[in-house]
Amino acid sequence: MKFDTIIMGGGLSGLTCGIALARTGKRVAIVAGGQNTLHFFGGSFELLGNVDGADVTNPLEAISSLDQQHPYSKMGHEQVAQLAEQAKSLLGDAGIKTSGDSARNHYRITPLGVTKPAWLTLDGLATTDRPDSLPWKKVALINLESFIDYPIDFVVEGLRALNTTVEMPTVTLECIKRARRSATEMRATNLAKVFTNTRNVAQLAEAINAVAGDVDAVLMPAVVGIDNEDASDILKAQVEKPMYFLPTLPPSVSGVRINAALRHYFQMLGGRFLLGDTVDKATLEGDRVTRVNTAKLQDTPLEADQYVLATGSFMSKGLVSNFERVYEPLLDLDTNAPKEHAQWSQFGLMGDQPFMSYGVMTDEHFRPLKDGKPLSNVYAIGQVLGGHNPLTLGDGTGVSLLTALAVAQNILDQK
Amino acid sequence: MATTQLTSISDHNFEQCLKCSICTVYCPVAAVNPAYPGPKQAGPDGERYRLKDPKFFDEALKLCLNCKRCEVACPSDVRIGDLIQQARMKHTTHRPKLRDMMLANTDLVGSMATIVAPITNFSLGLKPVKVVMDAVMAIDKHRTFPAYSAQKFEAWYRKNAQAQQDKFAHHVSYFHGCYVNYNFPQLGKDLVTVMNAVGYGVHLLDKEKCCGVALIANGMYQQARKQGEVNMASMRKSINQMRRPIITTSSTCTFTMRDEYPELLGVNNDNVREHLSLATRFLFQLIDEGEVKLAFRPDFKMRVAYHTACHMQRMGWAIYSTELLRMIPGLELVELDQNCCGISGTYGFKKENYETSQAIGSILFADIEAAKPDYVSTDCETCKWQIEMSTGVKVLNPISILAQAIDVEATQKLNGVR
Amino acid sequence: MDNNKHYDVIVIGGGITGAGVARDCAMRGLSVLLLERFDYTNGATGRNHGLLHSGARYAVTDRESATECIEENMILRKIARHCVEETDGLFITLPEDDLDYQKTFVEACHASGIRADIIDPAEARAIEPSVNPDLIGAVRVPDAAVDPFRLTVANVMDACLHGAESLTYHEVTGLIVNQNRVDGVKVRDHRTGEEKEFRASVTINAAGIWGMLIAQMAGVTVNMFPARGALLIFGHRVNQMVINRCRKPANADILVPDDTVCVIGTTSDRIPIETVDDMRVTDDEVRLLLAEGEKLAPSLATTRILRAYAGVRPLVAADNDPSGRSISRGIVCLDHETRDGLAGFITITGGKMMTYRLMAQITTDMACAKLGNNRPCETADIPLPGSEKPKSGNAQRSFAFNAAEGRHGTMTSKISMESDADKALVCECEGVSVGEIKYVVENQHVHNLLNLRRRSRVGMGTCQGKLCACRAAALLGRFNNNIPKAQEDLAEFLDERWKGMKPVAWGSTLREAQLTATVYQGLCGLDKAITRKEGSK
Repeated sequence: MKFDTIIMGGGLSGLTCGIALARTGKRVAIVAGGQNTLHFFGGSFELLGNVDGADVTNPLEAISSLDQQHPYSKMGHEQVAQLAEQAKSLLGDAGIKTSGDSARNHYRITPLGVTKPAWLTLDGLATTDRPDSLPWKKVALINLESFIDYPIDFVVEGLRALNTTVEMPTVTLECIKRARRSATEMRATNLAKVFTNTRNVAQLAEAINAVAGDVDAVLMPAVVGIDNEDASDILKAQVEKPMYFLPTLPPSVSGVRINAALRHYFQMLGGRFLLGDTVDKATLEGDRVTRVNTAKLQDTPLEADQYVLATGSFMSKGLVSNFERVYEPLLDLDTNAPKEHAQWSQFGLMGDQPFMSYGVMTDEHFRPLKDGKPLSNVYAIGQVLGGHNPLTLGDGTGVSLLTALAVAQNILDQK
Repeated sequence: MATTQLTSISDHNFEQCLKCSICTVYCPVAAVNPAYPGPKQAGPDGERYRLKDPKFFDEALKLCLNCKRCEVACPSDVRIGDLIQQARMKHTTHRPKLRDMMLANTDLVGSMATIVAPITNFSLGLKPVKVVMDAVMAIDKHRTFPAYSAQKFEAWYRKNAQAQQDKFAHHVSYFHGCYVNYNFPQLGKDLVTVMNAVGYGVHLLDKEKCCGVALIANGMYQQARKQGEVNMASMRKSINQMRRPIITTSSTCTFTMRDEYPELLGVNNDNVREHLSLATRFLFQLIDEGEVKLAFRPDFKMRVAYHTACHMQRMGWAIYSTELLRMIPGLELVELDQNCCGISGTYGFKKENYETSQAIGSILFADIEAAKPDYVSTDCETCKWQIEMSTGVKVLNPISILAQAIDVEATQKLNGVR
Repeated sequence: MDNNKHYDVIVIGGGITGAGVARDCAMRGLSVLLLERFDYTNGATGRNHGLLHSGARYAVTDRESATECIEENMILRKIARHCVEETDGLFITLPEDDLDYQKTFVEACHASGIRADIIDPAEARAIEPSVNPDLIGAVRVPDAAVDPFRLTVANVMDACLHGAESLTYHEVTGLIVNQNRVDGVKVRDHRTGEEKEFRASVTINAAGIWGMLIAQMAGVTVNMFPARGALLIFGHRVNQMVINRCRKPANADILVPDDTVCVIGTTSDRIPIETVDDMRVTDDEVRLLLAEGEKLAPSLATTRILRAYAGVRPLVAADNDPSGRSISRGIVCLDHETRDGLAGFITITGGKMMTYRLMAQITTDMACAKLGNNRPCETADIPLPGSEKPKSGNAQRSFAFNAAEGRHGTMTSKISMESDADKALVCECEGVSVGEIKYVVENQHVHNLLNLRRRSRVGMGTCQGKLCACRAAALLGRFNNNIPKAQEDLAEFLDERWKGMKPVAWGSTLREAQLTATVYQGLCGLDKAITRKEGSK
């Protein structure tokens, strides 16, 4: 099977790169070995949230203080600014409506009720312009009975620390009770499937109106709108007060939705999406990959002019570690990981863990290095790239989006 | 010490599970039936406890459709569905009911039914019979049983096709499956048309038994194993002695014989697996390699919505069928979203599962209605029953669409067939 | 709690020994106060194999210990059946070992009253498929697995049912000594910062290795040598029987199936007393455990490792040899009145987790003699709470019920599983329901997630708390009516889990850690939630 470009990995970066290429008419195939980290999404994309332990106000300005190995440093300030705009409009074209500004962070509210800097937040989710206050004086945070994947007491505590009066009325519905009959499966995403039924949404709206009281806004965990925004639109229309969602613990309802939206858009543009398959062999001739084979298609090799590695970090198996080493499993590309496993991590889980910054090394065009030299028709994007810790910097989704677009641009510029 | 902690090996990779819970998002059963513990709990979580003590086996695991959508979604390559089926195989103490045995023995019941097809079809459609089946057999009364054909495919083949097959330059064996044989011989005829047009003679296997997918689903593993051995023996003969690879027109039969045989049943399919293919894949590869060409009728027009059957998704082969369909100039293709139709073989026929089955399918049915296709296309026969019953839209196998779309004479000419 | 109350006995140390002493004393009608500086089982009790020795391991080298072990082994199977899993054990001889030792070993076992049957290597492979297939000899003995957390808590609960009082997070900071007599203890309440005093006729030092420091507070010397042992926990049960090497006891030669996991250990190193609170496992220890462990069961080489941990056993020097060369592994019960002229003070140390009951009996006998109490010891006959009856067997019960019954035995009937809300699972790996959490919070001295884990296995499964820690913290915050503390607790708990994962952080364990950090640090901003609180203090 022949394509112009084959992308390995179907997460945020792979899909974004695929869309950017497919909409110029390129024949693109994405090989996705299972689902991706968008399922842990918090409702906001982040460009750069934190440098040296302090919140970043203007991400575009703060980029200059990043390490040389950081993917943004390879693009430069101007390209970052330009691609950030492009990313926002691409998301919009895929039906993912967001608000935010790359020159000025706003704040998202986490599932623990903490504020963190954000770049683009999905419309409908609660945000605030300041780290220490909310735009409402008094809110009702809706408690869905026995929904244990939302630590609502922590959120109430967090919101109160933002100088807001918080009430926590409980909503009981038959459809929630039915979901709770499962000891394990009343997750955010399963509740969201319950609320794809408009009758259940109407019941929810009615119940909220009955308990909301005299507040400036109603907030509730984001358990509505898993396949599209219809259910949340209906809910908002029926709830009398202004209403906003707060992200939950995974699996993320909004993550599932935008994952599907990006995939639909990619397929609508003619892209081929091979879900549940993995590229397990790449044939290298000199500095070029000539073809790849997948686990499922076996004797049908996939051939393309360019290959994009968007396989993610350890948890997505784009990087593999064992007792002896860290390596990139497809091409054994150069990584920035030291040999001794004792050096990969440190005590204190939420510190600056070295392994979080591991990944493949590339040249300035994001062509990965093998034995110190770049491969000529291979690119690496997203979390498989080394040189940045997305948890301490707050730049994970931004790096995924922007490197995907930068590489798409590099590929298109070649002609 | 050379191998210390370089890889992690566990039964169906259950230990690779990161508890990320992504599989639960894509389980069609957990979404509609709170009695089912969900793939994570039923699979890798439960497995650790079952290793400690078999009493942790939960009979609710029988609610699993075995659709394997959990496996497709899993980013860690945990074979969740296999774990669940294996646990059922190992621990279940319930004997299959008569109803389940009848549903599972598709070829036995099929051969009886074909003999008396007009009567069977008449009585299967009759209200009182349906009520009795509902009450006595616990087969849901809403179900329309697939009609039995008066003439089995094998009989048609022997009478009308067999004699011409030896004249072709290339040859394949065709595993037609129970559905083509008893219910819908037309698909088999279409396959013969298409393959003959590109210069391939189509032959039956020496001995063909039902692949056993329904036996596995209904807990009759011994019988499934036996039938698997018969099929493998016939296929080995076809491959080794006649040099004929085997093709099928059913994604489920193919998946069962390629993957469930070794993984679940312990039936060895070495040296067969790589020669056993779905017809769409076989054709696509021939075309891709420039071995054969297709010529299409200029007047052919059709809007088709392609549904990826669960086991097709698990095999990762939908692309072969869709790429083949895309080759047809007059065909407008809509790829439906990845959702289960809810039938899952015999699962949806059971009274206790009917509601779950239809609830699962509802998302797909709505998508089909929205797509407004002339036909739905899928590679699975049980999806066909479910979709036709639930949406009223006719369903065609991609091979049948090809048979309609190609200009047979022109194709023969392109491929040097007299 | 009445600070002016005068107790018959104060027991220092909430390990298995202290818990056993408290139970025995309370059952004999004494008024008892049990004090633990952190949580029950925080020391060596919670940091060993969880092996219910048959005694076979000691049969050749230490006949006395071997006899104690087999006697206590049989007693615990009766009185603590919900804490014991009767797995049996194998002592295997590998090609590199001397097969002649097997004969010596079996004879010594028989002389100690331990069943020891030589079986064919082929039979050993059949009954325990994980065993090293190269084995040339095997002996089957009545080893078993025991859960030290459950065993300790059951002892404490029973002590309390017999009128004892028990305080965790109360550290003894000094002894009240008047005219050659210990009158009680000074303590610090770690949860409130409060300093308190408690008085008793007899003070019993059952503080394990830390007992050396307690004795110092009273001005007496007990020579202990901290022996550190590290262990590894694998992700699931590789073996169904205990596997030992049939040779003189050495490093990492025992593999025990414990609940849903299996544990290999231990290393053995003398360490300075100053370092006994540093339980981080080193890379050298991990390498040694892996190298030796693979010899018992080769599949350990390719099995996911959940975590590593270490404990410190108190080895006691014989009183006539302060150099420490002559180490007693037996039970050491010191009456400081006769030994040092200090009345009202007893130290119990040495011994083993599994001989705790006997240690408690000896100690209680000594205390009773001082108090003029002559009631006989009944701890060998009366079952612990939860062990009154055998488990309910194969009745078709829910996953959570079966999992809970494995932990609480007959006490499971007290767990609410009526409502769907109570049946909901908090910890999916280990099947811990909301109802079970309510039960342990109400009945088993739970102040934080660490306590909760030890009482229920929350966070002890494959994901080491990634999914359940937040749910459990939120529930605990609500039950204890302290939300801010529950959040700090959550961060501490994740760090505690990571401490054990870090030494083995490669493969799936590293992936798991990355996902955990991505959820709590990235998605949730837990680190920020904690600093925000610290800033506002």
